Amino acid sequence: MATFDVELIDIVKEFESGGARVRAVDRVSVAIEDGEFFALLGPSGCGKTTTLRLIAGFEQPTSGQVLIRGRAMEGIPAYHRPVNTVFQDYALFPHLSVEQNVMFGLEMEGVDKKAARKRAGEALEKVRLPGVGERKPHQLSGGQQQRVALARALVKQPAVLLLDEPLGALDLKLRKSMQYELKALQRDVGITFIYVTHDQEEAITMADRIAVMSEGVMLQVGTPKEIYERPQTHFVADFIGETNFIPGALLGRDADGYGRVKLADGTVIRARLSHALGNAASAVSVAIRPERIGITPLGPPDGSGGRHTPLDDVTVLDAVVTGSQYIGTDTRYTLALGGEAELVARLQNTAERNAALQSGQRVKVYWKDSSATALDH
Amino acid sequence: MDRQFSLDMKTRWGHMKKSGALLALPTIAWLFIFFVLPLLIVLVVSFLSRGRGGVALLPFTLQHYERTFDVFFIILRRSISLAGLTTVICLLVGYPLAFFISTRRRRLVQQITLFLVILPFWTNFLIRTYAWRILLGEQGTINGLLLSVGVIDEPLTMLNTQFAVLVGLVYGFLPFMVLPIYASVERFNFRYVDAAYDLGANDARAFLRVILPLTMPGVLAGCALVFIPSVGAFVTPDLLGGTRGLMIGNLINKQFGGSGNMPLGSALSIVMMAVVMLSLLVYVFANRRERGA
Repeated sequence: MATFDVELIDIVKEFESGGARVRAVDRVSVAIEDGEFFALLGPSGCGKTTTLRLIAGFEQPTSGQVLIRGRAMEGIPAYHRPVNTVFQDYALFPHLSVEQNVMFGLEMEGVDKKAARKRAGEALEKVRLPGVGERKPHQLSGGQQQRVALARALVKQPAVLLLDEPLGALDLKLRKSMQYELKALQRDVGITFIYVTHDQEEAITMADRIAVMSEGVMLQVGTPKEIYERPQTHFVADFIGETNFIPGALLGRDADGYGRVKLADGTVIRARLSHALGNAASAVSVAIRPERIGITPLGPPDGSGGRHTPLDDVTVLDAVVTGSQYIGTDTRYTLALGGEAELVARLQNTAERNAALQSGQRVKVYWKDSSATALDH
Repeated sequence: MDRQFSLDMKTRWGHMKKSGALLALPTIAWLFIFFVLPLLIVLVVSFLSRGRGGVALLPFTLQHYERTFDVFFIILRRSISLAGLTTVICLLVGYPLAFFISTRRRRLVQQITLFLVILPFWTNFLIRTYAWRILLGEQGTINGLLLSVGVIDEPLTMLNTQFAVLVGLVYGFLPFMVLPIYASVERFNFRYVDAAYDLGANDARAFLRVILPLTMPGVLAGCALVFIPSVGAFVTPDLLGGTRGLMIGNLINKQFGGSGNMPLGSALSIVMMAVVMLSLLVYVFANRRERGA
């Protein structure tokens, strides 16, 4: 039997706001496994922080259940839950020294001062911040404060560590190195991490699984690869990375999970069907990542210019280059398809392919059908 | 900050300092003539002998200080303990009130409750204190009410007691406790309470270990603002305390009247000021420790 550290069962959280009831979390159900690095990803106001606060016990759900290690948390106050939080602004106690901050949680447990001091020292060493115990939080840099906040939470040896945009206040470079460190730390301590972020790149590089949230709803839960390569909704495809959306009409569904989509110019292409797509849906968007698109220049009339041969599982369309942008490793092309559809493609700047395509040039664009997903419009 | 830049700032501020001193000169002169000088005169007078009609005469003597700590010591002690008790009661009543006000979610509720705290200031202090005479008197409102309900058989003696003075002082100075604590709690980041809960602190511990220490500046300021004027109060004990509730302020007041004793009054004033200064020192040190901590 799989062991779940945290289970959310049909959680709803409503807030009173100016006389109206606002649903911050809307029927969220998810099970998070023991030792998992789980990211809650979404734009600000999507309900991810509220979800975290519901697990921590700072908020009570309007309906639904929070289970931690199989135990229902209803009526259990935050200070009796086996979870600890790293707050967005760290919330280090400004009147206490770094060491006293880290010892705070142990003192609340009744650990005697000597043992607490020893464990606090070990925790500070674990986050690679020894020798600052005597200092006050405001005497440390943002990155150091972040480590203290981590040590303060980890020293309690919680079942689950909740992190609310812990790297949000750090500059880009520090954030990158902290991402690796956090990930390594999580492997080291083996504690379940639930990590709230609005940074999709952060979620993709760090998490074992990601839940994408929007307007209180958990739209999709999956591994970073699944989320990136198989987005099930327009929002997810749009929020994570860059995506092309080609509007079309769904003509029919094939038995293999693919559908036939008629584009504006009448061309019919095949694409994977999103699971989230309603049965009655007819207007769809075909989502395809820019780096999954290949471009072949139309060769001289003798046909030696490249492979045009249509393959069964490849879509090939005519297009015109409308612009290009050199961005170092890649070149980013904008292309016009028939029927006013626009497309962005990214080609890697390899040694062989350095000759840029010219604006106005007629080309063929192609992609594997499995790279395209038909989802809600 | 860049070193060169900070040096530049220093020279710029140096010029500002000069013109600043010039601007402050009138005020400094005013304070010197009407505050420092009179204070020095009071200090000198307190060591002089009493002449006919209570005026000060040579030779120098320590007798007024001796009397202050001898005959009048009981009144000095009463003043300090009444002021201390006033401060403690104001704190116990004022902290929850200030906490309640600053944690209201609705701005309007906050503003109304704050307004109610400040409202008494709109009426003259003397009139408000007289009102307490009517409330606390033998045939006063409170006695009348209690008698008619039958809780008591004969009127309670409340007026002209230390109790009445205490009631008057707490009533008068409560806003001075509430306002600075309100400001402190208003600035307090409740994320720290979340953090305390998160680390296993229950309500009481979160309050004692996190909220109270972080709102201590307001508490200390409130205590200073209540204690200092309470020690020297004379209107309240004069109207509500009678002879049993006499405080050092009343004693000083009398010495400068017709049959008074100016040197004695001066000595009493100096001692009272010393008490206030000492309590201020306690405030400053406590505050510094809070800030360093």
